[in-house]
Amino acid sequence: MFWGKLIDRGAMLLFGPINVLNDLLLKAFSAETINYFVWPLIQIGLVVTLVAGWVAYATYLERKISAFMQARLGPMRVGPWGLLQPIADGIKLLAKEDFIPDKADRWIFFFAPYIAVASAFIVFSVIPFGPDWAVIADVNIGLLLVLAVSSVGVLALILAGWSSNSKYALLGGLRSSAQMVSYEVSMGLSLIGALMFARTLSLSGMVYAQGSDSIWYIVYQPAGFLIFLISGIAENNRAPFDLPEAESELVAGFHTEYSGMRWSLFFMAEYAAMVVVAAVATTVYLGGWYFPFVDRLEQSGNHNLYVSVSLLVFLIKASVLLYIYFWLRWTLPRFRYDQLMDIGWKWLIPSALINIVLTAIGVFLIQALNGWRGLQTIEALGQGLNLTAYGKIIMIVIGLISVFITGGLLSRINWRSRDFNLKTQRRNIRLVNVAKGKPAVEAVQQ
Amino acid sequence: MQLKTPKSTLVQKLKRFLFMDLVKGMGLTLKYNVGALTDKDSVAGKGIYTEQYPKVRPDVAPRFHGAPRLNMDPETHDTLCIACNLCAIACPEDCIDVIPMDVEIIVAGKPRRKKVLDEFIFDTSRCMFCALCQEACPTSCLELTQDFELATYSRAGFVWNREMLEQGRETVKYTS
Repeated sequence: MFWGKLIDRGAMLLFGPINVLNDLLLKAFSAETINYFVWPLIQIGLVVTLVAGWVAYATYLERKISAFMQARLGPMRVGPWGLLQPIADGIKLLAKEDFIPDKADRWIFFFAPYIAVASAFIVFSVIPFGPDWAVIADVNIGLLLVLAVSSVGVLALILAGWSSNSKYALLGGLRSSAQMVSYEVSMGLSLIGALMFARTLSLSGMVYAQGSDSIWYIVYQPAGFLIFLISGIAENNRAPFDLPEAESELVAGFHTEYSGMRWSLFFMAEYAAMVVVAAVATTVYLGGWYFPFVDRLEQSGNHNLYVSVSLLVFLIKASVLLYIYFWLRWTLPRFRYDQLMDIGWKWLIPSALINIVLTAIGVFLIQALNGWRGLQTIEALGQGLNLTAYGKIIMIVIGLISVFITGGLLSRINWRSRDFNLKTQRRNIRLVNVAKGKPAVEAVQQ
Repeated sequence: MQLKTPKSTLVQKLKRFLFMDLVKGMGLTLKYNVGALTDKDSVAGKGIYTEQYPKVRPDVAPRFHGAPRLNMDPETHDTLCIACNLCAIACPEDCIDVIPMDVEIIVAGKPRRKKVLDEFIFDTSRCMFCALCQEACPTSCLELTQDFELATYSRAGFVWNREMLEQGRETVKYTS
């Protein structure tokens, strides 16, 4: 009882000011203005600030984690454990010269970084960081909006590469456009399996569906999650798919000619896009802000505390995915360009399609089995597909089997598809019947 | 003519199917990450292999020659240098200038002139730290110490005068 009282008191202290602010606002504006204009503005301000801070510290964490993986310590000099390093970097980048090359297309060069940052940040407007007040806009086509807006980010890379008037930047832009073509498709297709269970495109709705079914969709959809994660990494141009900025081949790729603040905008956009993919993957596959036993707080009346804990749960889940990003980057070497295309077209898109077919068959099977010889599989169809224990077991088994079916089928199809030998080919070409010592083309007689 | 590749066994195929190589690689990086995080000694313990230079200073070899120094008599705090110019003669790079001056002293009731050290110029930018000057010094006054931080912001900063040689140059010592 003591702890309960303490929690109540803490919640009062923490969230009292919010209610006070609401009362104050009610004196100046009408209730509708506050609900649809003032609070969303405050939410947007908070999200932009927090995400910018998150992005800044993601760079710090990336440097730290990479250092640890290479048995170094990483930034240590600025502040305790180098914690002020992102701020020092920001000040340095602001103070640097903003250089525009002589023959560059000035306007496009000027605008490309803003497109990149805007497209990454717009997505945060629909991502449910938590229930109730922790989501800015619960759009009923949230997932479509995420996919549509986040792919605009690639346009910025192409524009930056084109407008720089540099061969490296142009090659980087070309590569990123080709990469987008091959990864956008599988990213969209991989989500469809999860949509069959959620039966809604609203991101909050997907979290509620997972909550009411009390399961994370990664359990039903391991293949979909893997495809989404891989194509998400490729979409963000992160290693091992960082071909548009492959530093060993293209100097710095699309941002070769950028400097100072404009360059750091690209950097920010890359990390923000990473956070977006991690957040969407968390929402769709890892249950979003939903966590078992947290909703007991809501039942005991601590609404604001419940929302904050859910927010924390969401951030932790997304951070785990971000760690996987860093982990993969510092483990794997970069793919060759043809290998990247190979993964995109020969593996990810077909496996996403197979995943859709198998999931559809699974859902159909569940519905057919429902009520057959007293075997109840479906509990309700209200918020998403709510399955009983039998239904869950059947779906999990189908999900696991589908991974193996997909892998086996595709490795059968793609068997020896890359297994050509250039040396043999060259030899075969050379062995075309040309007599020794005789030129292939007769010399013209004078 | 086809080049034959050896057929992979079932175990190899299964390993490839389950991405065992990827798992192995990621396990290795995770091992290093955990090792660095659980490193008790935050400064270059067993998880961290790099030397934390400004915080932890390296041990240089006993034969290392670094910044020059003019030693003084530990009791009287007078310089040990007798301005004999042997170091300047020994120096293959010609980077030492010994500037003496004459002082009048009374020895046994008679005035005598004595050559003493006025100024000592040591150009560390030209020095190759061969320590031949140290060998030549009859009073073991000139010595090349183990200090290795000789960088300055200007060319003129490389030229050390008598005061710098006797007191040593001020450098920032980092402790954290």
